[in-house]
Amino acid sequence: MRCFIPEQKSQPIFDLHHASRTFGAFPALEDISFDVHPGERVALVGSSGAGKSTLIRLLNGTLFPTSGEVRVLGQDLARLKPRQLRRVQGQIGTIYQQFHLVDNLRVVHNVNAGHLADWSFARSLASLVRPMQVEAAHDALVQVGIPEKLYERTDRLSGGQQQRVAIARVLVQDPAAILADEPISSLDPQISSEIMDLLLDLSRRSGKTLLSSLHAIDFALSHYERVIGLKAGRIFFDARADLVTPGMITALYRT
Amino acid sequence: MSQMEDSLGTRTISSPLGVPARPGLLNRQVLWVLFFLGLLVWALLESGIFQQEIVNAGGFTLALQFMAASLQPQLDGDFIRLTLQATLTTLAFAVIGLFFSAVFGFFGGIFASHTWARSFTTARMGQELPPLVRALWLALRWVLTLFRSVHEIIWALIFVAIIGLDPLSAILAITIPFAAIFAKVFSEIIDETGQEPFNALLNSGVSPAKAFLYGLLPLTFSDLLSYSFYRFECAIRAAAVLGIVGVGGLGYQIFLSLQTLKFPQIWTFLIALLVLNGAADLWSSVLRRRLGTDSRCAGRCAELEAVQTTRAAANPIFQDRVVRASIVIAILLVPLSFWYINPDFGRLFSERSYQNLLSLANDAVPPNFAIYSLGEWLDLTRTTLAMSFLGVALAGMLAILLAFPAANIFLIPAEGRSRSHGRGISRLISAVVLVITRVFLLVMRSIPAPIWALLLLFILFPGILPGALALGIYTLGVLGRLLAEVVENLDQRPLDALKAQGASRTGVFMYGALPAVLPRFTSYFLYRWEEIIRATVVVGLVGAGGLGRSLTEQLSGFNYPAVLAVLVIFILITFSVDLISQSARKSLRQVG
Repeated sequence: MRCFIPEQKSQPIFDLHHASRTFGAFPALEDISFDVHPGERVALVGSSGAGKSTLIRLLNGTLFPTSGEVRVLGQDLARLKPRQLRRVQGQIGTIYQQFHLVDNLRVVHNVNAGHLADWSFARSLASLVRPMQVEAAHDALVQVGIPEKLYERTDRLSGGQQQRVAIARVLVQDPAAILADEPISSLDPQISSEIMDLLLDLSRRSGKTLLSSLHAIDFALSHYERVIGLKAGRIFFDARADLVTPGMITALYRT
Repeated sequence: MSQMEDSLGTRTISSPLGVPARPGLLNRQVLWVLFFLGLLVWALLESGIFQQEIVNAGGFTLALQFMAASLQPQLDGDFIRLTLQATLTTLAFAVIGLFFSAVFGFFGGIFASHTWARSFTTARMGQELPPLVRALWLALRWVLTLFRSVHEIIWALIFVAIIGLDPLSAILAITIPFAAIFAKVFSEIIDETGQEPFNALLNSGVSPAKAFLYGLLPLTFSDLLSYSFYRFECAIRAAAVLGIVGVGGLGYQIFLSLQTLKFPQIWTFLIALLVLNGAADLWSSVLRRRLGTDSRCAGRCAELEAVQTTRAAANPIFQDRVVRASIVIAILLVPLSFWYINPDFGRLFSERSYQNLLSLANDAVPPNFAIYSLGEWLDLTRTTLAMSFLGVALAGMLAILLAFPAANIFLIPAEGRSRSHGRGISRLISAVVLVITRVFLLVMRSIPAPIWALLLLFILFPGILPGALALGIYTLGVLGRLLAEVVENLDQRPLDALKAQGASRTGVFMYGALPAVLPRFTSYFLYRWEEIIRATVVVGLVGAGGLGRSLTEQLSGFNYPAVLAVLVIFILITFSVDLISQSARKSLRQVG
């Protein structure tokens, strides 16, 4: 698995060439090209329906482009066999707006689900009966600030706590890059900024690439080095955060 | 704000404590699992699988003849006409029975709902139900429970004794238990529906009846319609079973042909039964998909959730052409069915029926419990319990395995997968598997349990085993279909999240799908166990054993005091199983 970690720093983690994606007749993404290098922190902004979620799904291999190419860690996802695809996907962790945890499992199992790409069938099954690698799960929960919830049922937790569990799952997965699809849109402002700080902090400390779609434009400009603006399925701008002008933002959200 | 303080506060407290202690393996769920495993072992021992001879080798020739006859069902003109008549009769029983049970269940559901009982009081005298209203309300709910705890076939036997072999007996036998179940489910729908519009009307001085009409019933309408169509298939199966007591229809014809060993005829009838059930199933599932609503019950009324699927069309339901056409067809079917079987409602109020009722009551009361010794009663109870549990355990275990291939989610074309390799073939395979599994389940549930029992009795000696197998096979058909719908309605997003991080199919299954469906599966097993204990009487009637068998024996000897005694014991057992099942379901809901 480690063989997919790029040898030279110059190899991009994500690399899109003229990627387009249509749903029926509707073009969700058109002619998207950009690359993201290891350690970068990128914010993806744009109004609802601009194609942010579709783009995230292209990057984590749950959706393939209708034309063009999406390379992750140097591999063209659409050409991989299922097993190879899963290996690459094991290097990409994703966090979602609605958390997407299994509600009626204990927190420890949801966190341990991060191991699934590595664990054998027998090990995965055994861990459901008697949780394994509890220390690793506990460490991850310490990092996200809720170690005492280890054996709690997940649906008993608040929204903010569930998002922390989702982040702990990604920590256990230990991927090369983290994708976050509107990670704070379901949370109230106070919790939102805590979660965002947590994600950025983790990314800085571990050097993991972070690409996050965001509704809150101010947050994107103040916390990320690079901002990509999507408008109607096309890249509207792709710039360093300090070079994004108010005019560009107004134009991005103008219909 | 408070959550913020909470998370900061716990952070400082918990770090010196280290890893929380692993909770013990023994919790309430595990205890229930152990209890049911114990029950299974006991039922297996009870069935005598390990001691006595169970296979009747002499019956194999008969069984082979039966199988061979499947290649040449009887298809001559006269016989096809007979089959058609029997099919239409069964259909008509189902339609009229369902019509009456929907009407009575509708009003029964309103009166049995807590909302209705409450609406008299909140408007006038605070939160407490007045003692009289409360007593009436409880009495009504108790009567409904009693009505639905008696199987259709026992109702049919009672009505045949009172009003004779008229189609009316079949209709009443379906109507009474079905209306009681309808009323229960509908009262749950009412109580779980948003109460705000209703309360707003009440508080502005509108009378309870009018407030119901404007503030509550419109909200429940699509649920009610959806449930009625779900019950249509059940009604057809019930109507087919009823034939066995002699009121006509497909079940009756199959029973006659079985007694005379005319196998080619049986196959023709079975095919007709299959087509009828398959058509009803298709109609009801297409319609329910159109009507599907977001469930408002949040896990509390599983029976309702079972019939709800996610709504496909966003249109109001009456603008949907399929829904409109279905309602028109359903409305036309009712008078056509009345015309076809022409039930004699006069018999309901005739002097003779009244005399029959009186003499039946005179003969049967007081019940004669002395007909069996205490040891014999215990034996009968044990046999009945073992048979029911073995049946539901068998059905449950196989249904879990079949639910996933029978659910059509795993082959819904995942968007954008078009470019990867080999998926076309694997999708074709899973489509074939889906169709085969569904047809298999349809066959299992289309053939009534007593017919399965009679077929099994070709090769098995009478006892617990053929009864449990017959009930298990039939229940597998029902349960497999229900569980497949649970799987289809599963929230896909957590599964997609696991897939996105590279988990294999088995990983996604174990950590995503299985934990999400297991609680629902378990509550269905328990519901079905309540069903199956009632149905033991049906396979008992054809000689499989248990209380059902002694009921037949006492009936054929016209020993009504003994019949009543058996019935009373049987209802008591039914109630205790309901109690166990309810407390198991309750403790599963509150797992920690």
